[in-house]
Amino acid sequence: MAETMHEDTVFRPKPSLPPPPNTVGVVGWLRKNLFGGPFDSILTIVGGSLIAYFAYTLYLYGIANAVWSAGSYRECLDITRGNGACWAGVSVWMNNYFYGRYPDVEQWRVNLAGVILAVWLAPFWFPKVKAKIATGISAVLTYPFLAAAMLLGGEVGWFLQIMVGIALTAFAAVWLNVAASYAGYGSLRAALMRLSGFENKDERLQKYVLIGAFVVGFVLALLFQATWDLAPVPTVNWGGLFLTLVISGIAISSALPTGVILALGRRSKMPVIRVFCTAFIELFRSVPLITILFMAVTMMPLFLPVEVNLDKLVLVIIAVCIFAAAYMAEIVRGGLQAINKGQYEAAQAMGLNYWKMMTLIIMPQALKLMIPNIVGNFIGLLKDTTLVSIIGLYDILLMAKASGQDTKWLGMHTEPFLFTAAVFFVICFCMSKYSQHLERTIGGGYGRR
Amino acid sequence: MAVLEKGSPRRESRSIVEWLNDERVRSVLYQAIVAIVVVVVARYLFINTSENLQARGMSSGFDFLAGSAGFSIAWTVLPYQAGDTYFHVYLVGIVNTLVVSLVAILFTTLLGFFVGIMRLSKNWLISKMASWYVEILRNTPLLLQILFWFLAVFSLLPSPRQSYGVLDMFFLNNRGFYMPAPVPGDGFDLTMITIVIAIVATYATAVWAKKRQMATGQRFPTFGVGLGIFFGLPALVFLATGAPLTFDFAALKGFNFVGGVSVPPAFCAILLALVIYHSAYMAEAVRAGILSVAHGQTEAAYSLGLRPGMTLRLVIIPQAMRAVVPPMISNWMNVVKNSSLAIAIGYPDLVAVFMQTSLNQSGHAIEIVAMVMLFYMSVSLSISMALNYYNKLVQLKER
Repeated sequence: MAETMHEDTVFRPKPSLPPPPNTVGVVGWLRKNLFGGPFDSILTIVGGSLIAYFAYTLYLYGIANAVWSAGSYRECLDITRGNGACWAGVSVWMNNYFYGRYPDVEQWRVNLAGVILAVWLAPFWFPKVKAKIATGISAVLTYPFLAAAMLLGGEVGWFLQIMVGIALTAFAAVWLNVAASYAGYGSLRAALMRLSGFENKDERLQKYVLIGAFVVGFVLALLFQATWDLAPVPTVNWGGLFLTLVISGIAISSALPTGVILALGRRSKMPVIRVFCTAFIELFRSVPLITILFMAVTMMPLFLPVEVNLDKLVLVIIAVCIFAAAYMAEIVRGGLQAINKGQYEAAQAMGLNYWKMMTLIIMPQALKLMIPNIVGNFIGLLKDTTLVSIIGLYDILLMAKASGQDTKWLGMHTEPFLFTAAVFFVICFCMSKYSQHLERTIGGGYGRR
Repeated sequence: MAVLEKGSPRRESRSIVEWLNDERVRSVLYQAIVAIVVVVVARYLFINTSENLQARGMSSGFDFLAGSAGFSIAWTVLPYQAGDTYFHVYLVGIVNTLVVSLVAILFTTLLGFFVGIMRLSKNWLISKMASWYVEILRNTPLLLQILFWFLAVFSLLPSPRQSYGVLDMFFLNNRGFYMPAPVPGDGFDLTMITIVIAIVATYATAVWAKKRQMATGQRFPTFGVGLGIFFGLPALVFLATGAPLTFDFAALKGFNFVGGVSVPPAFCAILLALVIYHSAYMAEAVRAGILSVAHGQTEAAYSLGLRPGMTLRLVIIPQAMRAVVPPMISNWMNVVKNSSLAIAIGYPDLVAVFMQTSLNQSGHAIEIVAMVMLFYMSVSLSISMALNYYNKLVQLKER
């Protein structure tokens, strides 16, 4: 027998038994997560049947009994008897949900403007390309003018013409920079110097080359812009998801810079600035957005000179921007407060002045820390933009409501709202998932200590 | 070289540049510039406004508040009739806003706690259900949900004759929701007074029990005894005075219900939408709060010999509340603010009756906007003061 004590006996453990069959695999998972005990099992059965019932009802309503083509809501009702969705109406109105009353033949302009923005910002996701911040700033500062000129059409004033020229030049520069990066020059500036032969020359001369290149680009852009002949589309025809994205896009891109400034002002040591910033933030944070919107359309015209008559859309955008800035300021302030005091002290000990300390040391950390809140705020802004429908701008929500008041589709409310809800859900859900991804990648190391 | 101290007296020899580089001088300069800019802009706006008002032949000032408002309001809590003053309209609007907000806050807190705890369930299906509930509701606009409930649900309810009824006491139809109305009889005041006494007594018991436990370590069944006092005492008085409370039931008469208490469909829609939308946020606050209590706390409590129930009650929840309460209270604030969306479906809240109807009728934009903002700001300020007080109360006392 092996149990007898021998000099050369080595301890050999028996191979370990396999885990009990009901703790691994599908059965194990089910036992652990769904049927852990009698109470758990009841919960699972009740919950499961609820889900099944809900899904089946939704399937019957949305697919099995639904009508996909019909001439009016009456026809739909005759077929479904109220048991199914009338997607026919939604598909007829689909164009309006996305573009409002923007003329059909001009809708390519909206699409093109969207594509340009996407292409402009695309270098953010190219790992090799540098100057990402410059890309972002160029888009935020100049793209709105380009988009305004494209979307409004008609006669373009001299100021807008210049801005469009700058925007087109900036857009070209962003993509030439990408090309230069991938061609091995490193950056657009390096490529320009290499190609023009000023590589090893004085800084001053290099600057002249850059300015010269910019002027050439600008003149070309202006000449190109002069060939445009776009039919005017007044803002009253803007609508649908397009309008929602215009308003929320401007608010989102202006919120971060203004919010940072307000937050710094609120934490400033100068009492006058602190008082003004605090009052601004607290005033606009404590009242509902709808009151700010009402204020914008009823009070703001009184504040302006008698002869100035601002477009309603402009007033609304100003109101939403103010609202967004106040909320963002508090988020940024939260980030600033979360930064260790040692970081401020270390920056000061290095001899950095206030702005250098903020832009190089504090803000990058504070903003990274606050990514989830910032994106959450953006999602909130996108959702809150629907409030403009209350004061009569035809955003996607008011379009959805209007389609149920159309004589042909009278009473069709559920379907447009479900469709709109799905659109918002997809956009917001993607944003929040992307923010979680960002939090893991660039926010890593700051989130949890 | 002389060592330069802060504020060393070398004023006379300083050049302009040196002077401007002094941090204190610059700080004063910046502030002066900001103040001047603000004053100039304010003056500019003021001049514009008075010119505009003159051009439109409008007066300013709060005299209009005493004038009579010639419109009627669909549903009010305070008594109101067309022809009452604008100031009365303001009060009616405030009360309507507060009523819908307070009811919504009550239900949203309960539902939020329920869903938040569901999300933490070990049961995979239950926690997934709760998480999809939260995701769907948080990623669609509130206004959309309000319009959906109003236009696609409450407006399609049957007429009073075919209304849904529960126990012949509660009825739901396209005119609204009907409940029995309590009618206090003689001597009901005594019961009300006893309720107040019972609340004070319960609180006193809790304080005494806590003190005793701190001193002697003996526990006292505060919850049971408190419940007994709170419900038993008023019930005893109520029965002793001969149960002086009857109910006025809503009943179908002709084409509509009469009697009872009723709320319009718009109230139901805004209430349901607010409750459901904010319960998702509340659930997230509850979940985050409970997760914020380190697992070591549970283990430490177990190793001290506390049972799971006691651990939850005495160790986890008190610590979780510190993280749950602040977002919960700011959520309540959001409920109050978002109740202003009632305007979209015609529920007569403050914004609808005052900022829209009254403003359109009287034209006093600045005064009315200021008054409405004042209301929301005072609600917000009082809530944030309460929050600051709470934070100070529960702050970790360390170092």
